[in-house]
Amino acid sequence: MKRSHLIAIAVIAIAIGILISASQDMTTYANFAQATAKGDRVKMVGQLVKDRPVEYDPVKDPNYLSFYLRDDAGEVRRVILRAGKPQDFERSEQIVLTGQMRGDVFEASDMLLKCPSKYKDEEVYVRSEKR
Amino acid sequence: MQYIGEHLLPGQIGHLLAVLSFVAALLASVSYFLAVRRRTLPDEAGWRLLGRGAFVVHGLATLGIIVALFWILVNKYYEYQYAWANVSDDLPFQYTFSAFWKEQQGSFLLWSFWHIVLGMILLFRAGRWEAPVLTVLSAAEAFIGSMILGLYIGEYRLGVSAFDLLRHTMDAPIFERADYLSQITGNGLNPLLQNYWMTIHPPTLFLGFASTLVPFSYAIAGLWTGEHREWLKPALPWALFSAAILGLGILMGGAWAYVALSFGGYWAWDPVENTSLVPWITLVAGIHAHLIARNTGYSIRSAYAFYLMTFVLVLYSTYLTRSGILGDSSAHAFTEMGLGAQLIAFIGAFAALSIALMAARSKGIPAPKQEEAIASREFWMFIGVLVLLFSAVLITGATSLPVWNKLVQIFKPDYVGAALKDPVAHHNRYQLWIGVFVGLLTGVAQWLRYQERNAAIWRRTFARHMLIALVGAAALTALNALWLNVFAWQHFALLFAAMFAVVANVDYLITFLRKNLKQAGSALSHIGFGLLLLGILGTGLNKHWISSNSFAMEGLIEGMGSEELNKNVLLLKDAPMPIRGYEATYLKDTIERQTRTFAVRFRKRDAQGNPTGEEFVLYPNVMYDRQFSQVVASNPSTKHYLTYDIFTHVSSLPKAELDPEFARQQEDSIRFEAYEAAIGDTIFTKKHYLVLDDYTKAPQHPDYRPEKGDLAFGLKLRAFALDDTVGHAAAPMLYLRPKQGAFTLPAQIGALQMRVRLTEASLARLIDADETLQYRSLRLKEGESAEFEGYRIQLVRLNRNVEHPHYTPEAGDIAVTAELLVTAPDGATAKAAPVFLIRDSRSLNLKDEVAKWGLHFRFENIEPSTATMTILAARASAQARRIPVEIAENAPRSDYIVLEAIVFPGINLVWLGSLLMLFGLGLSAWHRWTQRLRT
Repeated sequence: MKRSHLIAIAVIAIAIGILISASQDMTTYANFAQATAKGDRVKMVGQLVKDRPVEYDPVKDPNYLSFYLRDDAGEVRRVILRAGKPQDFERSEQIVLTGQMRGDVFEASDMLLKCPSKYKDEEVYVRSEKR
Repeated sequence: MQYIGEHLLPGQIGHLLAVLSFVAALLASVSYFLAVRRRTLPDEAGWRLLGRGAFVVHGLATLGIIVALFWILVNKYYEYQYAWANVSDDLPFQYTFSAFWKEQQGSFLLWSFWHIVLGMILLFRAGRWEAPVLTVLSAAEAFIGSMILGLYIGEYRLGVSAFDLLRHTMDAPIFERADYLSQITGNGLNPLLQNYWMTIHPPTLFLGFASTLVPFSYAIAGLWTGEHREWLKPALPWALFSAAILGLGILMGGAWAYVALSFGGYWAWDPVENTSLVPWITLVAGIHAHLIARNTGYSIRSAYAFYLMTFVLVLYSTYLTRSGILGDSSAHAFTEMGLGAQLIAFIGAFAALSIALMAARSKGIPAPKQEEAIASREFWMFIGVLVLLFSAVLITGATSLPVWNKLVQIFKPDYVGAALKDPVAHHNRYQLWIGVFVGLLTGVAQWLRYQERNAAIWRRTFARHMLIALVGAAALTALNALWLNVFAWQHFALLFAAMFAVVANVDYLITFLRKNLKQAGSALSHIGFGLLLLGILGTGLNKHWISSNSFAMEGLIEGMGSEELNKNVLLLKDAPMPIRGYEATYLKDTIERQTRTFAVRFRKRDAQGNPTGEEFVLYPNVMYDRQFSQVVASNPSTKHYLTYDIFTHVSSLPKAELDPEFARQQEDSIRFEAYEAAIGDTIFTKKHYLVLDDYTKAPQHPDYRPEKGDLAFGLKLRAFALDDTVGHAAAPMLYLRPKQGAFTLPAQIGALQMRVRLTEASLARLIDADETLQYRSLRLKEGESAEFEGYRIQLVRLNRNVEHPHYTPEAGDIAVTAELLVTAPDGATAKAAPVFLIRDSRSLNLKDEVAKWGLHFRFENIEPSTATMTILAARASAQARRIPVEIAENAPRSDYIVLEAIVFPGINLVWLGSLLMLFGLGLSAWHRWTQRLRT
């Protein structure tokens, strides 16, 4: 057998090995119900429920944020994130969380905010006085 | 409707030039194509000339578009959506560049600009490769040109113009007015983008992207013309240059994220970062295949494949970042503009061309009959190329999950989609092995020789130097393990590989290249790679948060999170907070324009918690939006040491500082209670006591800016908790400003949650006290004394130099101060300095007090004949001496910040290693370019 064939076989074998092991790093997007059923770490996309309390008191603990999230199925649950509250949290249009359910509460380890308004303000500023 | 004040000409020119630029690029491509097809025929020169002409026209037209857009931005023509959305009247000029390439159209223009610059060099220098290379480059330019056309073909819009009018893109009642332009103003640039990184990073990165098109074009040209060996020489410096610049662009992105954004690191495996790194990896793989091909004739096929892949991956990266498909997985925000289909066509065309040509010409690509020798450099270099390919495939695969999800959802709408649990951990776990293999291979392959024929003779030299590298690497690994937190064997492997690369390449440099540094590019790059790995290990393994105080926070945390997650610490103003290894104190904050800067002092402490004497102040800041209604950016401040950095940023602020409305409500809800006390007295409240130390007519307060004509009064006091002897100084004040009224400025004592303020009652008491006073005249000459109510009052001297706080000099004034020394019965002394003033032939006087004894003095008259002064003295009654103050307890604190502080050990190795790697590439590019010209 030619050496290049051996290399090719080795490459394919390693590739398959990596693929199999890498698949364990995957998770799926889920809503609260699916996350409860799965019991494992999932990704979740939802919106902040603005009329429910957002708890963040840095004087007490700067690493504790609690809020309510509405998932894509419309279900609302409490979420805890053990990190500081991002500056534009209340203005977020969409929140992407990674974490898992602990009882009734979703414990997130990672949060990503989508705030398009931060980059694009669709409001025309009207001058208060002319130039 | 006829609108007033619009400038439509630059937009019309821009539009026209966009069409011209697109058509000229197409024409250039077609002409050059025919010039290649009709090689050796008489009309070849004609086609090439036409191609050149068209390309030059394309270049000029594109420059024209850039100038037109720039003109609109510089002149702030808000009738254009692009100007309205990205600039504002108060935007400093230097940020016009950032505004220019912030949006998709501007960045396409920037990309196009670099293609044109590179194309012009090729037009003059590429010789016989000009026609095929520029065919491809012009075709790419036509695709990019189509992105900014903004033409409607039936219902379909081709491209998005940069010259759309605001009133066409937005539906608002204001556009019913002919003079709407005088009513609107620009949005301005996002403060996050107002820094010099946004000025230098995009041009560098886009030059990197643009330059990958050159090796791609050469590769296509080689396949097309069948000159499979001939393209290798002229293309090599271009490929090396491209790798150096693209690498620099990526590095700048990392540096930006690290020093100016609060991402908390230089690399986050974010999809946007990944998709620009992957083409760089395939380009580097291509360069190695290219070198094998140049030196041995093997791997020509691989060189083709990697260069083709690199540019297609650049296009794929463009698609991912610009189509909005990354939505959920990236922190970078991109506005979607409906260019998705056009971008897919762009990728599709170039990918199809690459695959089709490779397939069609594959058989004809030459390769030596005999297999590579195992002991040859080309064999191990090729293994390295495969390792790099693995790296690229792994990163691309994981980053493309959102694309994969979308694809599956087309066929299976209820598919939920897969995502990485923890992208950073995933990438680190796999890329670590890439680092190990590449590190080892760079050391081994460097010491092997191309087309080894005398393996037996070379074996001894090789073995000796490998031994040096192994021993050296082992020693350095042990040495570095002293400072690195290496525990896992995988990390030891990476550390060893990194050190092996460094030692083997330094050895190679010393042995062979010290006399010929021009050829040292590869060795330097590989040393840089080793150092980069060491830096990555340092920052990755030893990175730690010092902003935590598990002791102070203990018991306060619900459910007790793991210590790893406690990355933030709350700093109360002026209250030193012990954190890991330091004592941090939030000293003060200052506001300038929309930026609020916090001064935080760090004092290093030793293991026992005692200060070591070393201290420094860092200044992280936050930026507010233009209405001061919210914080839009938090910018870090970093202390740089040679071996590590201390990186800090404000991760949160009190709600009252973020939301002015909330602050107002909070202020209104505070309950003040009224007290009265004389200077020297003590006030007891429910939980505290306050000592009134003094009264001043020249008070200082952070919010007070003195103006001419102000009458200001202030108190100096100290507040104590009932069970404590530590005093907290406070200085409330109030002032009367002519024609405006009285203003009170309260003092905050954050630590005791107290506010103290003076009120109108205090003002009345301070000003009107005079009416109740019974003055007695004292007639004194300079130096003489008199008794008054048990106090001895001495007129020390007269002074023409008047410094009374309430005195504002005017022309024609005659003013004299009487310097008085007052001695109390117990021997204590105090000074007073009343002023006698003649203004407009009227005599006036300005009083002075010794507040603690309730003594008031006026300087009423001077008798020149006898040199005797009339001083009026009075002592206020106990009641009149009492000053009303209002005190609030339990006031909510808003004098704190939440800080995140991270130590990055070895960060300078990351910069040094990367720069050395890129310098090596640049050196090789220059070396090959001069070599190329010589033959």
